[in-house]
Order: sequence, then structure tokens, then C-alpha cells
Amino acid sequence: MTARAAPVRGITLADAWRSFRTAIGLGWAIESNWSDPFLFAVYTVAKPLAAAMILVVMFQVITGGSGTEFLQFMIVGTALWNVVFGVMGGLVQSILEDRERYRMIKYVVVTPSSLFPFLLGRSLARVAISFVAVALTLLVGIVFLGVELRPNLLILVPATVLGVLSVIGLGVFMAGWCLQLRQEAWSYPEAIAGALYLISGAVFPIDILPAIVHPIAYASPTTWWLEASRRGLLGHGSPGALGTLSDGTVLLILTISTAIAVPLSLAAFAWFMRRARQAGLLDMVTGS
Amino acid sequence: MSGFGQANASGPREAADWSNGRIIRTNLRAIIGRAYPRIIGLTREPSWVFFEILLPFLAVSAFVFVYRALEAPEDYIGFVVLGGAMTAFWLNVVWMMAAQFYWEKDQGNLELYFTAPMHLMSILAGMAIGGLVMTSSRALAVIGIGSLIYAVSYDIRDPFLLAGVFLLTMLPLYGMGMLFASLFLMWGREAFHLAQLLQEPIYFLGGVNFPLRHLGGLSALIAATLPLAVGLDAMRQLAFPGPASEGVLPVGAEIAILAAMAVVFIIGARFALGYLETLARREGRLTLRWQ
Repeated sequence: MTARAAPVRGITLADAWRSFRTAIGLGWAIESNWSDPFLFAVYTVAKPLAAAMILVVMFQVITGGSGTEFLQFMIVGTALWNVVFGVMGGLVQSILEDRERYRMIKYVVVTPSSLFPFLLGRSLARVAISFVAVALTLLVGIVFLGVELRPNLLILVPATVLGVLSVIGLGVFMAGWCLQLRQEAWSYPEAIAGALYLISGAVFPIDILPAIVHPIAYASPTTWWLEASRRGLLGHGSPGALGTLSDGTVLLILTISTAIAVPLSLAAFAWFMRRARQAGLLDMVTGS
Repeated sequence: MSGFGQANASGPREAADWSNGRIIRTNLRAIIGRAYPRIIGLTREPSWVFFEILLPFLAVSAFVFVYRALEAPEDYIGFVVLGGAMTAFWLNVVWMMAAQFYWEKDQGNLELYFTAPMHLMSILAGMAIGGLVMTSSRALAVIGIGSLIYAVSYDIRDPFLLAGVFLLTMLPLYGMGMLFASLFLMWGREAFHLAQLLQEPIYFLGGVNFPLRHLGGLSALIAATLPLAVGLDAMRQLAFPGPASEGVLPVGAEIAILAAMAVVFIIGARFALGYLETLARREGRLTLRWQ
């Protein structure tokens, strides 16, 4: 009779931290070190700036440069939206790349550590790059386009913390969801982020949208994050109905929507992971 | 006797000595073979259609609402819808032409292409034809749905000229994709970043959402280098005649530029491919996975 093996201990905070830290290094290596530094720098700068410049030229063509309040509204919205693309794209691409391309997600899952801290760390490089894009876009707005920032940290700090948490929640949900898909999973973050871009009032007031879409727009935490961040950065809200609400109301709704979105996303991710284990989706290669 | 070589060949050298007719037939088969999966994929993977229509349409809608918020003249809504449809072709060129050899290498197919008895230009031509057919359906859907939902009105006085300009635009556009296919492969791991880099910056420089002339002095330089920009500028002049769509150059001059670009890009692609083949044989790693 052989001695019974010692029970495998559960994940500790130290394990999670080590896994998270290692994954940060791996994600950064994949994102940057494997590229030509010049190309990487150009890519990091040019993409968000071009996205903002499209809107600036559209604004100039129609208004001839008058009404800078709307321009400021657009610049802040388009700058902050880089975070949504970075977080969603980062989380989903990380999990899909590790399953489809590098084929090592199954090994991460069978380690004593959890996939979750690894996934967060692995995607952090893209999130960091997205914050660089936010800063650059705002800088160009201030220096060249006359954007006047009047930061109010009492609004900006909680808005950023809550907003980023809610976006991470959405990204975690998407990552779990995309693990269930056979085809086109790569396109989902872009599609969902594109749909949210449309309904969240990122570059135009949500009053312009058809009335049927308004309930979805008001339910999305990204709408309230953008609105609160605009107030924290510019000192005033958006044009239209959202702008008439008080700062406290906006922050309260952002808090409530985040408090709903984050636990739901985590629960959904846990369920998606359970299903992925049971259905053998972790070592599936779709070839997409 | 197998199907390879001539029936009565006395050795491998003689067996490889194909007639011109056979070379042409084989290359035509390669073109059809490479175009086939892209065309048949239209019916086999309906989810692709959903995403390829949805993604450009979401972008189009966002820009339409920006123009509505700015109370822009209605012509600008039409510019955005047309630009959105042409974006579908550009995305196809970037992701399914330029980056394609890179993906093929990752999947291990590129070695097979190099060893198969056909010219690689046939593979590129097949990819282009298949991609053009596949993307046309999506672009038409974007135009149809966008025009219907956003009530775009066109004033097309010469539909044949418009169709001709569109087809002429496709030649340098896909020629550029063929050229980039070799370049992306040579630049190795940068393919993903390059493809990303060729999106928003090109939408901006190409005047996808506004008339190109508003880029001022830069617009002339772009008109000389970017087929998407020139073709779109000419098509806008033909579909929305009026002061808002005034082009960088008259339509006739833009047609001449597109024709010249087609020649330059396709010949450039031929040379780049030749260089790539030389490198692949000499270094032996261009076709290997993970390199």
C-alpha cells in the first residue's frame, strides 16, 4: 500500500502575484520586444492620433473651427476610448493567442496557479499601451487643437478607477465568451467595442442616437465613465441630456453600473471556464 | 505513368520541360484554386458575412452620427457610407492580401506554394480575385444598408464611368496588396503591427470620411501614392456632383493616376516576389514557421 499523496494546496496570494508578474513580462515581450522598436513606437503613436485626426478634420470641414466645446468633447472621448480597445483587445487576444497560436493555455490552466491572474498580467501590456495613447491624444489636443483641461481630481480619480474596473469586467467577460467560439472569436472585441463606441457617446452626444437605443446607452457603464471623465478632465459635461445631470448623480450611476457589471462578468468568466474545461475547449484549435 | 511531366519523358529534366500551354493552364488552375476558398467561403461561413458587414457598418454609423451632431450637409453622410464600403476593400487588402503570406507561413502552407509548379503571382492573383468577389458582397451590403438607413441620395449621371473607376481602383489597390504580401513576409514578425498601422492612419490620409482636398497640401502627395484615396475621390465626384465633393484633381486626371499606379504596383509586386523567392532559397528560413 503506497502512502497517500499530500493534497494539492489551493492558490495563494503569492502564487497569484508570481503568475501575474511573470505574465506581465511575457505580454510585454510579445507586444514590444519582438517588434522593431521604431515600428512599435510609430504604431503606438500613429494609430490613436490618426483616429483622433479623422474627427478633427471632420469637425474643421463642417464648422470651420468654431465651437471648440464640441471638439474638446470629441478629443476626450476618442482619447479615452483607446482604453476600451486596449483592455478588450488585450484580454481577448491574449487568451486566443495562447490557445490558438502558442497553444499553451492548457498548460497554464493545469498549473496550481489560476488562469485569471495570468490573463490579467498577459494583457497588461496592451492596456499600458492604450494609456500611452490616451496621454498622447490629449497632449496633441492641448498643444495643437486648443483643448483646455481643467482637471478635477475628486471626479477624475474615482471615475478612472471605476471606469477601468468596469471595462476590465467587460473584457474578462469577452475573454471567457470568446473561448467558447469556434470561428470569428478574434472579431468579437472589435465588434463589441465598436458597438459600445456607438452607444456610449464617445464622439457624439447620445441624444443623436435613435430613441430605441437610449436605454442600452444609459445601461452601459462606459457611457457614465466617459461622462464622469469629461467632467473630471474638462470641468464640464457633454452637450445634451447627460450634461444636465449633477456630478454626484453621474458618479453614483457609474458606481452602481460598475458594481453590477464587475461581479456579473467574473461570475460569467468562471462559468465560461468551467464549460471550457468540460467541453475540451482549452486545447481546441479553430485555425481561425 | 503518373500525371506529372510528359508521358514519354526520359528523365526529370525533360519531364519538367513544360509547354507554354501547360504552364498557362497550370497557373490558371492555381488562380482558380486560390480564389475558390474565398468565394465558396461566402456560403460556407455565414458568420464571416455578419462580421465583415457589421464592423464597417458600425464605423460608418459612428461617423454618420458625428456629422449629424455637427449638422453637416446630407452629402457628407453619403461620403461616409461610400468611404465605409471602400474600407471593406482596404481591410481585405491589408489582412487577406498583405498579411496573407505571413499567415500562410504560420500555418505551414508557404513552403508548399514555393515547391508547387506554378508562379507565386498566380497565388496572389487568386487571392485578389477571391478577395474582390468576397468583399464586393460586403461592400454592397454596407452601401445598401447604409443608404437605406441613413437616407443617402446619389446623383449618378454616368453609372458606367463610376463602375469603370471602381474597377480601375481595384487594380492598384490589390496590386498594392500583392506588393505588401512579399514585404510583410520579409519584415517577419511585424506583420500584425504593420496591418494595424495601415488602418486608422490610412483612413485619415485616404480621406475615407471627408473629402481628400481638406487635407490641403498633403492631399496632392496622397493622391500620387494611395489608390484608395484617389479612387474614392474620383468616385465621390461621380456619385455626388456638387461643391462638397470637389476633388483634388478632375476625374480624368485621377483615372490616369489610377492606371499608372496599377502598372507600378503590379510590376513592383512581381519584382518583390522574385526577390522573396531568391531570399527564400538562399536563406531557407523565410518560409519556416515562427521565423
